[in-house]
Amino acid sequence: MKNFEPEIVAFCCHYCAYTAADMAGSKRLSYPPNVKIIRVPCTGKVDALHMMRAFEKGADGVYVAGCLEGDCHFKNGNTRAGQRVAYVQKILEDLGIEPQRLEMIMMSAGMGERFVRTAFEFTEKIRELGPCPVKPIKK
Amino acid sequence: MQTLKNIEHDRMTGLKVLVIGGGVGGIRAALDLAESRRNVILIDTSYSIGGLMTRLDRTFPTNNCDLCTISPHLSENSRQVYLDLMPMTRLDGLTGEAGQFKATLLTEPRYIDMEKCTACGECYKQFPEAVRFTPGLDPRAPTCMRYPQATPYAFSIDMDKVTDIKALQKVCKADAILPRDRQQTATVDVASVVLSMGAELFGPAVLDHFGGGRFDNVVTTLEYERIMSASGPFQGDLVRVSDKKRPKKVAWIQCVGSRGINKGDVPYCSSACCMISLKEAMVTKERFAESIETTIFYMDMRTFGKDYELYLNRAKNDYGIRMIRSRPHSIVEEARTKNLSITYALEEETLQKTEEFDMVVLSVGLRVPESSVDLARRIGVDLNPHDFIRADHFNPVVTSRPGVYVCGVAQSPKDIPETMVQASAAAGMAASNLPAAADLPETELDFIPEKDISGQAPRIGVFICDCGVEIGGVVDVGKMVEFSKAQPQVVVAKAVGYGCSSESMLLIEEAIKTQDLNRVVIGGCSPRTHETKFQDLLRRAGLNKYLVEIVNLRDQNTWAHMNQPKEALDKAFQLLSAGISGVAKNRPLMDQALPMSQNALVIGGGVTGMTAALQLADQGVKVYLVEKNSSLGGLAKSIRRTIEGEDVGLFMAQLADQVSAHKNIMVLTDTIIVDHSGVPGRFKTGLQTGLRMNYMQVDHGVTIFAVGALPNRPDAYGLGIHQGIVTQLELDAVIEDQPEKIKAMSQIVMIQCAGSREPENPNCSRICCQAAVKNALRMKTLNPDLEIFILYRDIRTYGFYEDYYRQARNMGVQFIRFSLDNKPEVWIENDRISVFTEDGILNRKIQFEPDCLALSTGMKADDETTEDLAMMFHLPRTEDHFFLEDHVKLRPVDMSVRGIFIAGTARSPKTIPESITEAHAAACRAQALLAKKEINLGAAVAKVDGTKCAACLICVRACPFSIPFINEDGYSQIDPAKCRGCGVCAAECPAKAIQLLAYEDDQIMAKVDGLFGGLN
Repeated sequence: MKNFEPEIVAFCCHYCAYTAADMAGSKRLSYPPNVKIIRVPCTGKVDALHMMRAFEKGADGVYVAGCLEGDCHFKNGNTRAGQRVAYVQKILEDLGIEPQRLEMIMMSAGMGERFVRTAFEFTEKIRELGPCPVKPIKK
Repeated sequence: MQTLKNIEHDRMTGLKVLVIGGGVGGIRAALDLAESRRNVILIDTSYSIGGLMTRLDRTFPTNNCDLCTISPHLSENSRQVYLDLMPMTRLDGLTGEAGQFKATLLTEPRYIDMEKCTACGECYKQFPEAVRFTPGLDPRAPTCMRYPQATPYAFSIDMDKVTDIKALQKVCKADAILPRDRQQTATVDVASVVLSMGAELFGPAVLDHFGGGRFDNVVTTLEYERIMSASGPFQGDLVRVSDKKRPKKVAWIQCVGSRGINKGDVPYCSSACCMISLKEAMVTKERFAESIETTIFYMDMRTFGKDYELYLNRAKNDYGIRMIRSRPHSIVEEARTKNLSITYALEEETLQKTEEFDMVVLSVGLRVPESSVDLARRIGVDLNPHDFIRADHFNPVVTSRPGVYVCGVAQSPKDIPETMVQASAAAGMAASNLPAAADLPETELDFIPEKDISGQAPRIGVFICDCGVEIGGVVDVGKMVEFSKAQPQVVVAKAVGYGCSSESMLLIEEAIKTQDLNRVVIGGCSPRTHETKFQDLLRRAGLNKYLVEIVNLRDQNTWAHMNQPKEALDKAFQLLSAGISGVAKNRPLMDQALPMSQNALVIGGGVTGMTAALQLADQGVKVYLVEKNSSLGGLAKSIRRTIEGEDVGLFMAQLADQVSAHKNIMVLTDTIIVDHSGVPGRFKTGLQTGLRMNYMQVDHGVTIFAVGALPNRPDAYGLGIHQGIVTQLELDAVIEDQPEKIKAMSQIVMIQCAGSREPENPNCSRICCQAAVKNALRMKTLNPDLEIFILYRDIRTYGFYEDYYRQARNMGVQFIRFSLDNKPEVWIENDRISVFTEDGILNRKIQFEPDCLALSTGMKADDETTEDLAMMFHLPRTEDHFFLEDHVKLRPVDMSVRGIFIAGTARSPKTIPESITEAHAAACRAQALLAKKEINLGAAVAKVDGTKCAACLICVRACPFSIPFINEDGYSQIDPAKCRGCGVCAAECPAKAIQLLAYEDDQIMAKVDGLFGGLN
C-alpha cells in the first residue's frame, strides 16, 4: 500500500487545532495534503453522525483535534469529544472497521509543530492500514 | 451605500484628535481612537496611507505578509463615522493648548476628485509619465498606488508632468480629473495631537567604500524587500538587478550608517535591522532556494524582543544562515560579472579576508527626515540630540508640549510591535484631553436593509484570491475558478487578485447585487483573520453576514504544501467543494448582544498595573486593582535609578499615592484570584482578600493582566555563595545606598546573559545590557579609578541606549566577549573571587580578582502565577511561561479572549518606561472595548426544536454552563443570551432536537459531502 494516498478529515476546534494549523502554514511547515480540515467551534460539537458520515463518504481516517486537557474554552467540550470518539471507535469495531482509523488529538493554538507532527503520524498510520473497507466505489 | 445617523453629531463640537502620519503607528492610534468613539483626523503627506510597512514583503517573526492583517481594519465601515482621512496634507501650525488647539492643515492638490475616481487606471495606462514616481528599484512604469490594498483607492496626478490636460481629462470616463485643483488650507479645533511621522531609511549612496550607490547588485534591505515582493519590480522573483539572474551567494552587512562615528553615520542603534536581515535571509532560503548561501556580517546580534532569540537560533540552526562577526571594510565590484568582493577582518585573526558574493544587501538604519524636524520646530516640540522627538523618561509617548504625544519611530527606532504598543498608548493619552468616554452620546450605524432570501434557491458566487504569489504562485487560480463554476448552484466564479483590496471588495459587492447572489464563498486566507471583513462586505451588499463561507486556501493549503503544487491543487478543489456545498446550507442569523459591565479588573499592582488602573479610572471606569502582596509597587519598587538617572523610588511612591487616592480605584492588596466565570463583557471573578481571606466576587467587562515577572536567580557563577557575587539589581541598591563601598573598590567584573540565552532559558532578558551599562556609568562617576570589565556575548543596547554604551567605553569600561561554549569560570579561594575568561583578541585565558562580581541575571516569568491564571482564564502562554498575546505583530496587548489584555513584564521582559507604555496601550484597548457599551456575542447559539424534544434532560446535564432547562411547555429551553455556543448539547441530544446555529448538522454534513463530492 505504498502508493496509497488516504483521504483524511480533521475536525478542528477553532480555538486550538485550527489556529495551530494556520500557524503551521505561516511558518511554512509542511504536512501531508491528505489532511482536510473542517472547522468547528469546539470539538464538543462533533457528533458521532459527523464522524460516521466522513467514513461513509470516503474518508480513510478521521481525527478530532481539540484543546489540551483543562484548556477547553467551554470547560470540558474536549473531554466529551474524547468520550464520543471512544464510543464511535467501538461502533467501528463492531462494523469490522479498524478503530484506529478514528482518533482524538489534543493540542494548543501555539503548537504549529505538533499539528504538523500529528498530521504526519496519523496519515502514515492510515497509509499502513490501507483504504477504509466502507469506502464507496470510485468512479 | 449606507446611511449614518448622527454622522454630523459632533463633527462640529471640536472634540477631535489630530494624528499625523499614516504609517502603521498612526493608523493604529487613529483606529483605537475611532473605536473608542472619538473623532480623529488622520493626515499624511503621501497620497495614500500605509507608510513604510506597506513596502515590506514580509515581516518577522511569522514571515507573513502582515499588510493583509492590517488592511482589513483600514476599510471597516463603522470606523468611518469617526475617522477623517486626509492624504497629501501636512500640519502647518498649532496654536492654543491641550484640549483646545487650533491646527492649520495644508492639503496639496491631487487633481482628482476622490468622490468620482473609481481607480480604473485608464489615466495611468495612457499617461504613465503624469503619475508620481515610486522611488527605488521599480523599473516598470511608475505607479502612484504603492501597494494593491492602497487606501484611499484613487490615483493622483503630477501636474508638472502633464503636457495635454484636455487629453488626460478625456481619458477619464468618470470625469474625475480636476485641472484647477488648488492647495487648500483648513483650521480645525483639536484637543490633542499624536505625532507618528515615522522615519526614513538611510540612503547609503554617500558611502564610497560600499560603492556609493553605483553597484547594481548592492541594494538596501528595503530594496531587497521590493525585489522579493509580488508587487515589486520583478513580480516577486529574486534576481540580481544587473543580469536578472538568481543570486547564489547573498551577503547582508549590518549597521550600515548606524552605530558609527564616520562619514554619514549616526551613533544610535536602529533596533530593528538585525531582525530584518535575519528575516530576509530566512525568506530567501524558504521561498527561492535552500541552496542560496546567505551570510550576515554583524557587530552584535540584537535579537532582544519577545522570542526573537528563538528566531535567531532557528536562522542559525535550522536554516543554516552563516553569521560572521565583523564590520566589513569595503565592497569592490568585479567589472565583468558584477559580482562583489567584500573585504573584512575577523577579531581572532590578523589578516584581512576577501570573499566574493553575487549580491550584497546593506542593512540601513532609520533616520529622521528633515520634514519631521521642521514640523517639530514649527509646533514647538523639543527634539533629542539625534533629532527624534524628545520623550518623557518615564512615559515615552509624552512630548515636551502638553497635549502633544508621540509614537513609533518618530520617538526612537523600533520595530512594528513596539510601534503598535506606543500607538495605542499615545491614543489613550490623547483621549484623556477629551471628555471621558463614558459621557459620549450614542451613534448608530445603519446598513441598507437585509434582503429576504427565504424560499430562494441558493445562488452562489465564488471569488478566489491569488494573494499575490501566496496562493496564485502555488496553485492555478484559473483552474480553481473553472472548477467552482462547474459546481451545483454556483452562478458566478471569479478570480479577484487580492480579494481584500478595496477594488476587489467593490467588484464582489457589485457581483452580489447585479447577479442577485444570495450566498458567497471566498477562497483566500484564514477566516480567523478575514471573516469579519467579508461579513461586513455582505452587509453592505444587503445580505445577511452569515451567508458567506471563507475557504482557507492559503494558510492551510498553499503555505503548507508549497512544494507539492499538484496535491495542493487537488486539495484546493476539495476545500472549495466543501465550502460551496456548505454555504448552500447557510441561513441568515441574528447576532446576540448584551450590555457590558463598565468595570475593569487589573491584576497586579506593580508599575504596569497601577499605570493602567489610573488611566482607566481617569476615564470614568471603576477599577478593581488586585495585588497579591501587602503593598503596591512590584518589582519596579526595588529598582533605584533609570539609565537616564531618574529616581524610580520617588516616581513609584507618587504613582502609588495617586492610585490609592483615586475615587474610581479599589485597591485590594493581599488578594488572590480564586475563580473566574462569565462571558467577554460580563466577567465574574472571585477573590480572596485580606489576612482573613474573605471571599468576594467582582463583575467586570475587561481584565488587564499585569502580573509582572520575577528577577531571575540562576544557580550560576557562584551566585549566593559569596557576598561579593551579586545581581545587577542588588548592585543598583549598593550604588545608591552605600556609595562608599563602591569608592573603596578597585576592580569589578560583570557577566552578561547569566541564566539567559542558554538552552534551559533560551530567550534574551532584554534589560540586562542597559542595566550593566547603567551601573558601570554610575560607578565610574563615583570612583573614576575603578576598573570595570563587562564580559558579554552581544551587547544589546538598542536605540539610544547605544549612547550610554559608547559613553561607558569612552570612560574606560572594558568589554570582553565570550561565547556560549566557552563561558567564564568563577572560583572562590580564601574568600577571594577569581574570574577566568578566554580573550578572543589576545587568544588566551585571562584572570580577574575583582572586589565584586555582578551578574546580569535578567528576568523570568512568574510560572506559578501565570499557570494558575492561564488555567482559570483559558489563556495561552509561551514556552517560557509568559502570556502569549493574540497577534505578536499587530495586537501585542490583546489576548485571544476578547476583553482580556496583557501588559508589562507578564508579556516579556522590558524596562520601566516600556512597561508604562504597555500599560497605557492596554488601558486604551480596554477602554475602546468598554466604549461600545454592549458586547456582540455572535449568532452561534443553540436552538431547540420543541416538537422533537423528549425532555430527556441530557442537554441539561451536558451543558458545561447549566443553561438549558425544561420549560412550562415540557421541552428544553436555552436562553440565547446565556448560551456560549460550544454545541455540546447539540452533539449529545439523542433526538437531534437541538441545533447549534451557524454550525448546524446539515451544514457540517454538507461540508463533509462536499469534500468527497468529486470522488463519489
